[in-house]
Amino acid sequence: MMSKSTGNLHRLIGCGWVSFLLSLALAVIVALGCAGKPVMAGEPSPKIYAAEGRADSLSADTLREIFFMRLTSWPDGTPIRVFVLPDKHPLHVRFSKEVLGVYPFQLRAAWDRLVFSGTGLIPHMVETVGEMREMVRATPGGIGYVDK
Amino acid sequence: MLTNRGFLGKALAMRIVGPRTIARMAATVACFFVSGVAAALDFSTIDWQLHGFASQGFTYTTSNQVFGASRGGSLDFTEIGVNGSVRLLPNLLFSAQGLYRNAGGSDREDFRLDFAQVDYNGTFLDSALTLGVRAGRVKIPFGLYNDTRDVVWTRPSVILPQSVYFDTLGLRQAMISADGGLLYSRYNWGDHRFNLEFMVAEPQDDTGDATDFLTGMLNSPGRMDGRPLFLGRAVYEWMGGRARAMFSVVDLDRDFRSRASGVPSGNIQALYPLFSLQYNAERWSLTAEYGWVDARRSGFTPVPIENTSEGFYVQGEYRLSDDWSAVLRYDVFHADRDDRSGRSLAEQTGQARHRFYAYDLAVGVRWEFVRNWLIAAEYHNVEGTAWLSPHDNSDLLRGGGDPHWDLFSVMVSFRF
Repeated sequence: MMSKSTGNLHRLIGCGWVSFLLSLALAVIVALGCAGKPVMAGEPSPKIYAAEGRADSLSADTLREIFFMRLTSWPDGTPIRVFVLPDKHPLHVRFSKEVLGVYPFQLRAAWDRLVFSGTGLIPHMVETVGEMREMVRATPGGIGYVDK
Repeated sequence: MLTNRGFLGKALAMRIVGPRTIARMAATVACFFVSGVAAALDFSTIDWQLHGFASQGFTYTTSNQVFGASRGGSLDFTEIGVNGSVRLLPNLLFSAQGLYRNAGGSDREDFRLDFAQVDYNGTFLDSALTLGVRAGRVKIPFGLYNDTRDVVWTRPSVILPQSVYFDTLGLRQAMISADGGLLYSRYNWGDHRFNLEFMVAEPQDDTGDATDFLTGMLNSPGRMDGRPLFLGRAVYEWMGGRARAMFSVVDLDRDFRSRASGVPSGNIQALYPLFSLQYNAERWSLTAEYGWVDARRSGFTPVPIENTSEGFYVQGEYRLSDDWSAVLRYDVFHADRDDRSGRSLAEQTGQARHRFYAYDLAVGVRWEFVRNWLIAAEYHNVEGTAWLSPHDNSDLLRGGGDPHWDLFSVMVSFRF
């Protein structure tokens, strides 16, 4: 009985292209609806932090490339060393969304892919904002973020 | 002790990779050092990382077998990997991963060298354009999940959609990684990113049951050679992967050289295009992939056999909290898209019709209960047996097997 009814369901959804195109249409509708989300207001914004004033004039695109670990050296050739707080840390969440324009899970997914396909290094994780300041200051080419 | 270990390591490596590959890799490495890169090294710029994962699965099925004798509950699903990466220069990276995998009758390779590669790239146009090359044993960049599919952290469920990512069939081993090279490019334009990859490599189709799968004969005595595989992938990403569209294609043309007098040699050509789409919102993700395998086998039968299979799935993920997420997926596979009911294939082969299709409705949850520890559980209601391993289900080849079955799977994983 059970298997018969699920069998019908299987046949109903199973028309190859139909479900594929339906989901594509749904994705496009949702994408249009979600574009241009307002930025959160309130508390002081996360501020990008790098030694030697390197981070002063970086665009959002460049920062995204750096934190996704795709841009690996500064213009003078020094390797970029990226520091982040844990995925759930409120400052990390705000930094991801407000500065990079992505969700923390997108960063984590990209880093996991780099590690397990051997195609890149991932950021060093620090536990507190204090540790972040200390590590970035002490590391040549270091970059991270702080709360004002 | 040290020399002892070195010798052992080498012996082990020879056993896993084979002398031909080792020679090729050694040559690649040597080239880099001879070209003077080593002389220019400044040790303060060297970064390295060590990572790994260990996952243990439990599989239970109401009928048929998946990953071992699952009808009574099977623990034959283990995945353990350790990898190291060394960045000698900001744009020069060496990395390697050793993998242990056990998945019942469908994976009996145990330890293997998963990848061992060198990656070099350069940036142009104010860093907007990156051009790079990767060589050695490299992961195959196919679709959304293939290149890291052995790591439960990077796949949406314990068991990937089998219509696209065959796990219990022999072809799996030939799809994981290959010995050769890859050219890649990335171009950033505001919030948009374009990615192109082109790969030429020798597939590992002498390992696992890839030979069986490609020739269509079980336990085929012989080896595969012929032209290396070609692969291309084009990716468009918006906002760091908020939306993602991808086209991948593999082109395979291999010869099977028989070693037994009663078994004919032959040729297999396969073209596997795959379309992928993904949208990631804050709370949920929607994913779909559609592909087909166009295969032509000649020499094994008096008349060449041509066949086009078809696979697709639609998947939704929902993030209930930072630690909990749920997944719902519908996955469809037809061994022949001109014979979706499997009627004529059943007549030709003497196997049951349900061998030639599979409809899999899956629902699952995952929970990261401590940082870097994960437990995932899922339930599958499946109709059809097309993607089941004949090694775990020998009755399938004799017309047996149950077309209606359920699968329950749990996996615990740790990573560092």
